[in-house]
Amino acid sequence: MPVAARRGDRSSAPYAGALESLLDRVSRGDQQAFESLYTAVAGTVLGLVRRVVRDPAQSEEVAQEVLIEVWRSAARFDPRQGSAMAWIMTMTHRRAVDRVRSVQAAADRDHRAGVHGYTTAFDEVSEQVERRLEREQVRRCLGQLTELQRESVTLAYYRGYTYRETADLLGTALGTVKTRLRDGLIRLRDCLGVSA
Amino acid sequence: MSTVELHTLTGAYALGALTGREAAAFARHLDRCASCTQEVRELQETAARLALAVAEVPPADLRTRVMAALPEVRQLPPAEQGTTVVPMRRRFGHRLPYLAAAACLVAAAVAGGYAVQARHDAHEQRDRNVRAEQQAAAVSALMTAPDATFHTTALKGGGSGTVVASKRLGRTAFLYHGLPALSGQRVYELWYSRNGQMVPAGLVETGRSSGTLLLTGGPRGADGVGVTAEPPGGSSRPTSPPLALLGV
Repeated sequence: MPVAARRGDRSSAPYAGALESLLDRVSRGDQQAFESLYTAVAGTVLGLVRRVVRDPAQSEEVAQEVLIEVWRSAARFDPRQGSAMAWIMTMTHRRAVDRVRSVQAAADRDHRAGVHGYTTAFDEVSEQVERRLEREQVRRCLGQLTELQRESVTLAYYRGYTYRETADLLGTALGTVKTRLRDGLIRLRDCLGVSA
Repeated sequence: MSTVELHTLTGAYALGALTGREAAAFARHLDRCASCTQEVRELQETAARLALAVAEVPPADLRTRVMAALPEVRQLPPAEQGTTVVPMRRRFGHRLPYLAAAACLVAAAVAGGYAVQARHDAHEQRDRNVRAEQQAAAVSALMTAPDATFHTTALKGGGSGTVVASKRLGRTAFLYHGLPALSGQRVYELWYSRNGQMVPAGLVETGRSSGTLLLTGGPRGADGVGVTAEPPGGSSRPTSPPLALLGV
């Protein structure tokens, strides 16, 4: 990721940072490399799962499944498709969402808690110096979105709602949520200086 | 759905907000749409930043459980996609050897740092684990910081070290591997070089040959990190020539 960020172009040259190099070694069965990778990503995996799944015991269970899945499928990672972090987080989000979507119907879920979930999503996090800057930057960039963009993005990502559920929750047309998810994320991308 | 309509789904797809069936249909569309693919890639990187912002310190027993499960899990071979898949070894081989070295050192550091100390009692062990996980979280934040830099070198006298620094986080870590024990109970001491002055930045735990050390103070204003061998307890200025000098 650092290398890609410095590279600054938008071509699809393969990512080749520390995490990508670790994943490469993990794909060849290197358990020490996996433990390093664990150190680098486990907190983020667990944090994201917790936002979506809520229940602490189930969250740990899902996080454990995801981390083992990283070990299992490391050879399937393709650095030309994106960074290792994005690959792992996409997998994490999918697993977390699968868990909540299978466990309970969307209607059973606490909508009220979800609607203004983006603030709690941050407040629940125990403060940790190293993450504060990242968090502040994301918070600042979320603050630059319109309310509808922000609520759509955070409900979908941190709460795991589909865009249909998000539209229902916000009482907004489906097409509007679809575009708000896209333009909200594009604005975040530009604010955070993400390149790929 | 029309192509234009499909294109607006890049955001929902990147955020995982499509149902399984919709996501599969959109993935098929991606195969034919290079601009959508590029956009999805960028938006997925953006979503990963949303995840980094909610990272937590995981409980120590999660690490234990995950590591214990690995020997039972059969790893998948690389995907069969004809000629498009180049073995990763080759892709990475020449590109950034120092990163591979860094990864290797991190692996050693972690293995050294979190090895179970069987003789400690359970309570002490728990405290150790908590500290280890906090340290791991700090190193994790450093390694995934967008501006993180990596510098690796061999130390005179044996072993090697990697300096990972992020000005944004104001943190630097020293990952070391294979450091030989020093004579006369001397210790490895880390220094920031600031305007030609060497400023103490921490001591490597005595007797430990591989591990991770978070340096005291941030990298801002420093033009390098040095390592020396010092008398027990460390020194306020170097008393011996550097064993290594690394950039930050």
